[in-house]
Amino acid sequence: MALITENTKKEVTDIVFNFFADECEVDIKDIHNDTNIINDIDGDSLMFLELIEIFKKKYNLDIELKTIGKYSVKHPVQTIGQLIDMQLLIIEHENKLLELDH
Amino acid sequence: MSQKKLAFVFPPFASDYPDDPFNNLTGFDDCFRKYLSRAAEFADPDLINFEIPIKTYLDDELKTQYISYIQACSLVSWFRQKEIIPAYCAGYSMGIYAALFQAEVISFLDGLVLIRQAFNEIKKVTKKQDFGMCIIIGLNMDDMNEMISREKLNLKVAIQNSVCSFSISGTAEDILKITEYAQKEGALSTRVLNVSIPYHSFFLQDTETGFTEFVNQMQFRSPKMPIISLVDQEILLEEHALKNEVVRNLFTSLNWYKTQLYLQELGVTRFVECGSGRGIVKNARFIEGDTVTLTANSFTAFLDKK
Repeated sequence: MALITENTKKEVTDIVFNFFADECEVDIKDIHNDTNIINDIDGDSLMFLELIEIFKKKYNLDIELKTIGKYSVKHPVQTIGQLIDMQLLIIEHENKLLELDH
Repeated sequence: MSQKKLAFVFPPFASDYPDDPFNNLTGFDDCFRKYLSRAAEFADPDLINFEIPIKTYLDDELKTQYISYIQACSLVSWFRQKEIIPAYCAGYSMGIYAALFQAEVISFLDGLVLIRQAFNEIKKVTKKQDFGMCIIIGLNMDDMNEMISREKLNLKVAIQNSVCSFSISGTAEDILKITEYAQKEGALSTRVLNVSIPYHSFFLQDTETGFTEFVNQMQFRSPKMPIISLVDQEILLEEHALKNEVVRNLFTSLNWYKTQLYLQELGVTRFVECGSGRGIVKNARFIEGDTVTLTANSFTAFLDKK
């Protein structure tokens, strides 16, 4: 289990904001925690998957995509803020993510 | 200018059209209209009415295939005028016909003939049952095969797009079922495609005899550049191999993931998706390797900056 520091939170937030600004070709100033990824900035599930790959590489995470998929079914992500929270949980718990529901 | 280590990839028919997919390509619209007009005269007069976003024929599988092919051939022609010739080309799914045009194996009109005949052969063998396709992202090949086997689904993995992305073909009923099972299994995304044909699967095996007879009557020229097979990643050089690829493309599973990796081994560092969509560009993010995959529009902008 990784320790989530304020620095980690800032790093993850910056990566997510910059990623969507770039991918969706929107001004980063127009992205907020309550921005709806699909409805507001025309994002898609492949972008979510790509972000996961970015964080897997950056933090050397041991997590299977289907673990995240199963978690997402119970905890669907719609906004940027929810996505950041989920990425932090993934970094913190990796393959033990599903144990959070027990 | 010959662009070595550049590969053109021709996508299958579109499922959506962005508003202005070729806005960086000066003069492209004239080129496209010229090809569209020839196709309308030869294949279907209604094609002349194609207009993004007013009339796109997305619910007509044959017309959609024609349009994607016409766009791809127009791009080939436009890039030829700029003396941009790729080192390799490949046709993803029904993009095979545009790849043949790129390599000057067939004429523009012969490509239309092949598309129509393939569609007719397919319709003959699929009329008794409802079929479909879907895309599942987030599971691996073992997960897919295990799920199909465990649930006794009448389905087949039609295309492997990356380690975690698959196109599935089969009966319409089971296509719906697998999207539900896949979500429970942990798939991050599932999407039923707007097609009624189970492309690249044994459900179309019975097209082989009729389509082989038809293709063998056509004249295929020697390719001006290597075409890479999505079936077995072989370089297609001989007439027999090219004709065989066109026939088996309908009923054999494809592997785009292995094809893109193989093209990297051949030294390709840049891939250009020659169509109006971004499906191959998006998928490339999940294929390892230090390469760049661009739309035709982005590629042109990139060249203009140089």
